[in-house]
Amino acid sequence: MIRLQNIEKVYRTDTVETLALNKVSLEIAKGEFLSIMGPSGCGKSTLLNIMGLLDEPSKGDVKIDNQKTDNLSDKQLAQFRNKKIGFIFQSYHLINDLQVLDNVELPLLYRSTTAKERRQLATEALAKVGLSNRVKHFPSQLSGGQKQRVAIARAIVGQPEIILADEPTGNLDSAMGNEIMDILLQLNKNDGTTIVMVTHDENMAHKTHRLVRLFDGSQVQ
Amino acid sequence: MIKHLFKLIWNKKKQNFLLMSEMLVSFLVIFAVFTLMVYYYNNYKKTMGFDYENLWVVNYNNTYQTKSTDSLNTFYENLRQTIKSMPQVKEVSFCSDNVPLSQNQNQGNANYKNIAVSSDHYTVDDNYRNAMNLQLLEGRWFNKADANAKIKPVIISDELRDRLFGNGVALGKMIGIEDKKFDLRVVGVIQGVKARGDYSPAKTAIYWRIDTGSYRWLGKMMVKVTPDADAAFEGKLYKTLANYMKDSNIEIEHMVNKRKSTNLFNLVPMIVTLIVAFFLVINVALGLFGVLWYNINKRKGEIGLRRAIGASGQSVSSQLVSESMILATLSLIVGTFFAIQFPLLNVFDLKAGIYIVAMILSIIFIYLLVLVCSLYPGKQAAAIYPAVALHEE
Repeated sequence: MIRLQNIEKVYRTDTVETLALNKVSLEIAKGEFLSIMGPSGCGKSTLLNIMGLLDEPSKGDVKIDNQKTDNLSDKQLAQFRNKKIGFIFQSYHLINDLQVLDNVELPLLYRSTTAKERRQLATEALAKVGLSNRVKHFPSQLSGGQKQRVAIARAIVGQPEIILADEPTGNLDSAMGNEIMDILLQLNKNDGTTIVMVTHDENMAHKTHRLVRLFDGSQVQ
Repeated sequence: MIKHLFKLIWNKKKQNFLLMSEMLVSFLVIFAVFTLMVYYYNNYKKTMGFDYENLWVVNYNNTYQTKSTDSLNTFYENLRQTIKSMPQVKEVSFCSDNVPLSQNQNQGNANYKNIAVSSDHYTVDDNYRNAMNLQLLEGRWFNKADANAKIKPVIISDELRDRLFGNGVALGKMIGIEDKKFDLRVVGVIQGVKARGDYSPAKTAIYWRIDTGSYRWLGKMMVKVTPDADAAFEGKLYKTLANYMKDSNIEIEHMVNKRKSTNLFNLVPMIVTLIVAFFLVINVALGLFGVLWYNINKRKGEIGLRRAIGASGQSVSSQLVSESMILATLSLIVGTFFAIQFPLLNVFDLKAGIYIVAMILSIIFIYLLVLVCSLYPGKQAAAIYPAVALHEE
C-alpha cells in the first residue's frame, strides 16, 4: 500500500544542515496498522508527513498504491490526498468557526459531491465515532476526546484507504486515549483501513500490528 | 463552496465587522468623489453655449450725467459705432454686470402657471447674441421693433423652457416674474450658457431687452474681436474708451482668461476631495492588506489543514480572495442602500443618472481595490507548505 525507499530528509538553513531522516525504507501492506515510535525530534512526524504527501523527501521514492508520487503536480497531490488519505493530528486541527458537521464535511468540499451527499456522509461518519448528538456544536463546546473523535470522523468521511495519525492520543488522558484507540482499531478491523500512527505511548503501540522505531532519523526496529 | 464561505464569514461576523465597516466607509467616500467627478464630467462635455474665444469684456461705470434718456442713448450708441468701426472689432454689445464667467449674479423667479423656477436674469441689447455667438433654438432674438411692443418680449434658455413647459411649446407663452402676473411673452429660446465655467451646468436663464433707461446702470460691454487683435489693439481700445468716457473706471478682460480662472476656482473643491479620497484609499488599501495578511498568519493552521485534506494551493488562494470579495459584496449591499437614497430623495438636486453612474464606478473601484489587496496575501497563503502550516499551529 505504502512503499518508502531510501527516504532522506534534510532541512537546510544558511548555516546549518539537519538530517531529519536517513535512508528510511518501509513497506506497509494494505490493511496493516503500523505504529511509529521514537524520542522527540527523531523524525517520526517528518516521516508521516512524507507518507501523507504533505512534505517531500530530499532523496528517495514514495509509492502509494503502486503509484510514484514525485512527479505529481500540486493539484494532483491535493486530489491524491483528498481521495486516498485521511489525517488525524494531535491538536485536532478543527476549524473553531464551523460546527462539528461542517468540520466533518470539509474534505468532501474538494470533491464533486452534492450538499445532500456531503451531509449524509458526514452524519454517518459522526455516527461511527459516536457523536451523532453533537453535530450542531462548535469545537469550543467539546471535550478533548470529542474533538479528536470529530477529527477521526473528518478523516474517514471520504472513505480513504489510508489514515495517518500523528499522536492522536497525545493530548488526551488514558481513558479518552483508549476510546480513540478503540475507534482506530475498529476502523482497521471492520473497514480494512491502513493506519499509520505516530505515538509516544508503548501501550497504544503494542495494540497495533507492527511497531517501527526511529532514532536520530534512522530506523532502528 | 460559496455556501461554506458564507457560513464561515457569518460565524466570524464579529471579526469581520470592522473590516466590513472599513469597506462601507470607503465606498461612501468613493461614491461622493465619483458623484462629484461624474457631475463635473457631465457638465464639461456639454457645450459652453457661447463663444469665449476673441471675446473681451469691458467693465465701466456710467459717468455721463444727463437727465435726457435720448441723449444718454445717443452717447452710448455713438460709442458703440466708434468701437465697431475699428477693423479688429466684429461686434459690440452692452449688457448687465452679470456676464458669464463673472462673480456677479442676478437671480429671480420665472413663473408659469403654478411653476416657479429660480433663474439668472440678463439684460442685454440686440447685438448680444452676435457678440456671444449664442445658439438660437426656437423663435427669434430681440430687434428694434421690440422697443414698441405692448407686451414685453423675453428670451429663455432651453433649461428654463424644459422646466416651465416640459414637452410643450414655449414660443408665444406668457410668463412672469411675480406670482400670478404673467406679463412677459416668450419670443425665443436659446441654448443654455454655462455661465459659471465648464464644470458647472447651464442654469435656467431669462434674457430681457435693454430699455431706454438701462444705460444709466449697465456696466459691461462685450467686444467680439478678430483673432489678430493684439495687445497693441487692446491699448488703442482702452485709450478710445478712456477718452470717450471721462472719469470712468475702465478695465478690459479676456473671456478666455476668465474661463481659465473660473474653471480653476471650480476645480478646487474637487481637487481637495480627490486628495482626501486618495489618502483614504491608500489607508484603506493598507488596512485591507494588513488585515488579510494578519488573517493568513492567524489561519495558517486552517490553511495547512485544508491543504492536507485536499485543497490545492490555488484553491486556498481562491478561497481567501473569495472571502474578501464576499465581505466586499456585503459591505457594498449596505453601502448601495445608503447611496440609492440620494437619487430617491433627490438630494442636492442632481440627476439620478449621475448617482447611478457614480454608484457603479464606486462598486467597481471597491471590488478592484479588494481584489488587488487580497491577491498577494492569497498568493502567499498558496505558497505555504502544508507540513509547515500544520506544524506552526
